[in-house]
Amino acid sequence: MTRKEYLQHQKTQRHRRVVGVLPALFPREILWAADAVPAEVWDPPLAVSRAGAHLQPYICSVVRQSLELILSGGADLVDALLFPHTCDSIQNMASVVHDYCGLDTPCLFFYHPKAPYTQHSRVYYRDQLQALLERLQELFGPAEPGALTAAVEMGQRMYRRLGEMYARRAGGNLGLGNEEFYRVLRRGEYLHPEDFIAELDQVLGRPAPAAAPPGPAVILSGVVPNPPGLLSQLDRLGVAVAHDDLLMGSRRIPSRLPAEGDPLDRLTESYFSLPPCSTRSNSLARRAAYLGQLVEQTGAAGVIFLIVKFCEPEYFDLPNLVEELKARGVPSLVLDTETNQPYDGRMATRVEAFIEMIG
Amino acid sequence: MSLFAGIDIGSLSTEAVIIDQQAAMVAAVILPTEAHSTKAAETALEAALEQAGARRPELARIVATGYGRVSVPFAHKAVTEITCHGAGAHHLFPGTGTVIDIGGQDSKVIRLGPGGKVVDFTMNDKCAAGTGRFLEVMAAKLGAGLDELGPLSRAARREVAISSVCTVFAESEVVSLVARNEPREDIIRGLHRAIVNRVWSMVRAVGVEGQVTMTGGVAKNSGVVELLEEKVGQPINVYREPQIVGALGAALLARDQARALG
Repeated sequence: MTRKEYLQHQKTQRHRRVVGVLPALFPREILWAADAVPAEVWDPPLAVSRAGAHLQPYICSVVRQSLELILSGGADLVDALLFPHTCDSIQNMASVVHDYCGLDTPCLFFYHPKAPYTQHSRVYYRDQLQALLERLQELFGPAEPGALTAAVEMGQRMYRRLGEMYARRAGGNLGLGNEEFYRVLRRGEYLHPEDFIAELDQVLGRPAPAAAPPGPAVILSGVVPNPPGLLSQLDRLGVAVAHDDLLMGSRRIPSRLPAEGDPLDRLTESYFSLPPCSTRSNSLARRAAYLGQLVEQTGAAGVIFLIVKFCEPEYFDLPNLVEELKARGVPSLVLDTETNQPYDGRMATRVEAFIEMIG
Repeated sequence: MSLFAGIDIGSLSTEAVIIDQQAAMVAAVILPTEAHSTKAAETALEAALEQAGARRPELARIVATGYGRVSVPFAHKAVTEITCHGAGAHHLFPGTGTVIDIGGQDSKVIRLGPGGKVVDFTMNDKCAAGTGRFLEVMAAKLGAGLDELGPLSRAARREVAISSVCTVFAESEVVSLVARNEPREDIIRGLHRAIVNRVWSMVRAVGVEGQVTMTGGVAKNSGVVELLEEKVGQPINVYREPQIVGALGAALLARDQARALG
């Protein structure tokens, strides 16, 4: 079933709402509690023709292609659009869609606090969760009693499995290649958690591989694991991605999952336990320490940065992270990418040369 | 006698080098790649075998490199040109710490550590700005042969500023300069300066260590080499046939691999 067919099925057969969500950090559980399926929009495979009229040339391809999807009617099946305040470009895109494009689809906004955090940040975040839930209930009707607690628990089940997938991969005990790992992970961008958790259980039930790949291990850092050709090339070269620091990947997996208490408090606690991220303005020191820790724990021989061209939050941190890794004796490779960019020979040569260098 | 071959399938030319157990070069050929990588590799290898007076079964191992490395079915292994240029430059000039390779479609700066191992590198991966292809287009526009560019540049009395190494934009600039009757030598020196400035930004990103060796076809252009030496502040090593350094490196790696495999 394609992504579109699945979402259509959710609407017609499960009578759920579908909310199109722009990257990257948003409370999935709040949407689930409102019986809505979030469908994340990162890199729709489209040629851009309409979006260019609304955006400056220096806006990243994630925003450009997402706007193209909306303008070309590709998001017509969604009941609402959610714009988290990830970066200025997504914020501006929200204004373009909400104020200028004449869409009937309701637009929702989610403002999560940026670092450095104060004592008010938690209060603010909790208020934002509450406000989003109320707005969804205004649109879709009241949530079932206990739905939020059930959603939080479902989220925790999902995060535990994702955490196990990452841990087993880091230990070389997961029977998935790089390409397959991210294909599974990315299905979580639109599957209802019940279905996604079932798929994760299936993956975790597979036997561990008989032997580790012969090549060196690497860490991926950046936004999305694109272009996909990179992952298949790493598979061919016998290179294991031991862990990632990707915005769509491990940066969205909280380390604290409180077992009880008020559901909004539990979500708040989890949010403040997320790994450091450029889009939350976490300090460079924290980010560098986190990357260094990933390298040390996994024994990775290098880091590959996959930076979406014009992604300001990532580019602000990048030079310092590269220098910090160099100071620790960790080689890194920076690839400027655009969503849907073909994986050409020159990029493949750079990756292969990097692997030869660290191997 | 066991021989080892390296084949470098580049965008403009294909080189094949055969070495013996002592790493002595027994054959080296350069042929145009044209439209078919596999055919170019096959033709270059046959020409090299003929030059060496050897037959295919005498080749103990073959390593392919260059952008067409994946299209050489008879190669035992494919290795990137970055690793191969590093190995070749280190073999020819053992004090090499930095390699500048400007080929037909891309430029690379490679830092070497002990034993010629690559420890860092950078390459232009977006377009062919400031590469051999750029010079080819400009030479044609100015009615000069590629071999003439170096001597003409060195004969320049002054230097015309060229603001871009984008082949399209630079060509427009050159048209304007020709229309103003600027001397051809001065324009060529300006073009070389633009290339060197472009490469210099890559050199700075990687850093200069030890001796600097230049490889690739553009190293045959004495005008570019002279301006790069000014920038680097030291003489640059250039092998008499800089285009074959990658293929030589591939042949050396073939020999190392054969030894490791026993």
